[in-house]
Amino acid sequence: MNKLLVFFLAAGSLLLASSPVFAHHGTAGYDMDKIITIKGTISSFNWSNPHVVIHIAVKNDKGESQDWIVELAAPSMLARGGWTKNSLKPGDEVVAETHPAKNGVTTGLSGTANALLKFVVNGKPLSFY
Amino acid sequence: MRNRVLSFGLLLAALAPSCLLHAQAPARSGAGKTPTSPSAAAVPDLSGNWLGKGGSVSWDPMDPSGKKPEQMAMAPWAKQKVEAARPPFGARATFDNVTDPVQKYCDPPGVTRLYGYPYQFMFVQTPNVVYILYEYTRVWRLIPLNQEHPKDPDPAWMGDSVGRYEGDTLVIDTIGFNDKTWIDQVGHPHSDALHLVERLRRVDHDTLEVEVSFDDPKAYPKPFSGKRTFKLSPAPMAEALCSLTEMQAFQDEVMKTTVQPPKK
Repeated sequence: MNKLLVFFLAAGSLLLASSPVFAHHGTAGYDMDKIITIKGTISSFNWSNPHVVIHIAVKNDKGESQDWIVELAAPSMLARGGWTKNSLKPGDEVVAETHPAKNGVTTGLSGTANALLKFVVNGKPLSFY
Repeated sequence: MRNRVLSFGLLLAALAPSCLLHAQAPARSGAGKTPTSPSAAAVPDLSGNWLGKGGSVSWDPMDPSGKKPEQMAMAPWAKQKVEAARPPFGARATFDNVTDPVQKYCDPPGVTRLYGYPYQFMFVQTPNVVYILYEYTRVWRLIPLNQEHPKDPDPAWMGDSVGRYEGDTLVIDTIGFNDKTWIDQVGHPHSDALHLVERLRRVDHDTLEVEVSFDDPKAYPKPFSGKRTFKLSPAPMAEALCSLTEMQAFQDEVMKTTVQPPKK
């Protein structure tokens, strides 16, 4: 994982301790004690069950583009919070907090049924609820 | 969104005649009896969309977070199943080679597991039948009121349910399950002898309490029970189907990346 592009937030574990998280498949693949922030450009936004999946092109410290796969809540849950299939589009600039995968791949969990992480699109925060 | 609301209204309109037909159908033992419908004043109002928060992942009353899913007293076959399970929650939670029948096959979650998902459900109360409609996987249950179970019902994913009102509480009695579902999110199994009693009560305008009693002597030597609460939700019921195509694509695209060998 690229150190220049991710910023570990010390408050991450505290946030999660007070906010139970729930995805239908659990969170076993993610390090729920960590929250990192990634910055990049939306490559794709897949509005489908069981969870919305976003691909974000993130440049590493060598200037190379990395494909980050970010999982969000189910479409029905995001819709409760006002999201639609048009909330994101390719090319949007995004700053997103995410729980990174335990094994160090560029996959993360940014939203579940009852947990919300910071998600800023083109300078505007999007809320889940 | 309007289309979804309209579609749901059409579903309810479609269900209404079927509930009338059901009330007339002589398929059950005791169906010859005239159902004694409670007066409208005696029927508790369970209307609204009820949303769970997920919270407790196990129905073990001593271990709601599933830290020790094998600790319940259970038959050897049941313990083997728990120990072999690769579930989404609890001590054995994993993304790797999951055995959860919902994740692996999009099987119906089953009655008591549905209470563990952060999705909504709602009641359609008619004089002789209560329907429960679940947002997750879009399954539904039919609860005939003041009737008896058929003798020796065939096995079914959602079992055979009958209901009655006791004051402010809807009591649902269910038998006739198959043995293919888990009762919770940590892989506790059940047998075809499972007998459930659900007591559903609106404890205040915004809160529904559900108490579930499990009696499954083939799997668990002692009956046990637990409670869940649900909050009234302003959101409409939405589509949350389990499509095996989408489920497998998600697992391949996202979950499996997290169980690959770590990068060096």
